[in-house]
Amino acid sequence: MMLFLRQAWTIAAKDLRSELRTKESLNAAFAFAVTILLLFSFAVDVDPDRIKEISGGLLWMVFAFAGALIFNRAFARDLANDCLDALLASPIPGAALFLGKTIASFTLVLAIEMLCYPVFGLLYNISWANHFWTLAGVTVLATWAMAVIGTMFSTLCVNLSLREIMLPLLVYPVLIPALMGAMLLTTQLISGQPISSDNQIWLRVLAAFDIIFTSLALLLVETVLVG
Amino acid sequence: MKDKLLFGAGLMAALYLVRNLYVILVDLPDEAQQGAIYRIFFFHLPPYFTAVVMFLGALIASIQYLRTKDFKYDCFAVSAIEVGLAFAAMNLVTGSIWGRQQWGIWWTWDARLTSALITWLIYAGYLMLRQAIPEPTQRAKNAAVLAIFAFTAVYFTYKANEWYRTQHPGPVLTFRTGKETIDRSMQNMLFHNTGAFLLLASVMVAHRMRLERNQREVESLRRFVHAH
Amino acid sequence: MDQRNFEFMFYGFAAAWIILAGYVLLLVSRGQKIQKEIETLKRMMEDRGSK
Repeated sequence: MMLFLRQAWTIAAKDLRSELRTKESLNAAFAFAVTILLLFSFAVDVDPDRIKEISGGLLWMVFAFAGALIFNRAFARDLANDCLDALLASPIPGAALFLGKTIASFTLVLAIEMLCYPVFGLLYNISWANHFWTLAGVTVLATWAMAVIGTMFSTLCVNLSLREIMLPLLVYPVLIPALMGAMLLTTQLISGQPISSDNQIWLRVLAAFDIIFTSLALLLVETVLVG
Repeated sequence: MKDKLLFGAGLMAALYLVRNLYVILVDLPDEAQQGAIYRIFFFHLPPYFTAVVMFLGALIASIQYLRTKDFKYDCFAVSAIEVGLAFAAMNLVTGSIWGRQQWGIWWTWDARLTSALITWLIYAGYLMLRQAIPEPTQRAKNAAVLAIFAFTAVYFTYKANEWYRTQHPGPVLTFRTGKETIDRSMQNMLFHNTGAFLLLASVMVAHRMRLERNQREVESLRRFVHAH
Repeated sequence: MDQRNFEFMFYGFAAAWIILAGYVLLLVSRGQKIQKEIETLKRMMEDRGSK
């Protein structure tokens, strides 16, 4: 078990290190996210109360689109110079490879989100950090869901020429329950209220989503990668 | 021989459907509040059950393909999912029309409708993924994994009525509520129509499987002809 | 039969049958396309064979 986690962490560290050295997709995704936030401020009347009502929806759409850019790179990064073949030929199990890449993508997307929240607060004049730790918890749960599904489906699409289109097309429908939960909870938290008892079920939905899809992915990824 | 069997089954399905149509329009009692529109129910719930059976069949076939690598399972999976999509589309459209009449809305984003739509989109994505992968073995493998993931959406749609308060009506059939919430003759008709649709769906799956086999044969022939 | 809301019932039935018929027609047309391709390939193979 410890060996498995250490292997996954080695892969995650490799991916993070290579990404942080070049910062290509990190910069692109962050710039994309900020651009959408900026454009949206021109699209609607910047009335703080109205923005608070849609804050969850806006933020999570931005995170989903920026995340897609990151997840596409997860396996695509290793296509050049047969790196993916080398990784598959190495003695680590496919599940450890998958877990490592998921952790790396998760960390990158989480970093972008944590940077986007203050930008959002600045652009729209909203104090978003009233329930900071709950908001962070919700963000972590939903981002893990995105990372698992994004990385898993990226293994399905890695060899396709239309990779950039197919990945969002497959990922977003599956993610809708998790994104819905994240949007509702985020809207409530950014509006300054703690999570109501009505919305507590969404926390359970997010947790169940994470557990179910992580287990399913870990079981199946070896089949996809190696056959 | 198989052709005759298929033709016979198709004919039986058609006759069964016609008989059901007669019973639906003429014999069944009227519903207290809705007038004639409630009879759409018989083209709303049976297609849903048929689609679920198709998707479940595709799930089992996908798992079997991953275990045995036998292409006949892959063939069945794609056929079942395509036919299932057609019936799921029937389910969505008839439900929307019914909703328009009953509640004045063509659509709403409650748990049941949203998850039904998502299920349809995910399986449509399955077909798109298949189109995007030209190599047969990789196509079958990746599609099988996607089919396994996609079935979670089917289960979620089924349970959505129980877990959430929805615009969509709650369960009415006796096997779900445990008591008599629907008239016996209507419930029997529902099962009859489900049977008819299942029969029709089986015939369609058989045809589609034949098409798939022919398509693969044509592809390999084309490679052979162009290579020589 | 109670005639209230008959119009919408008709639309619903029509939609259901049109979707079914549409899919059956799709299958049939695909089948015909494959038949045509098989004929073309057979002809190509005969041409190659006779050459």
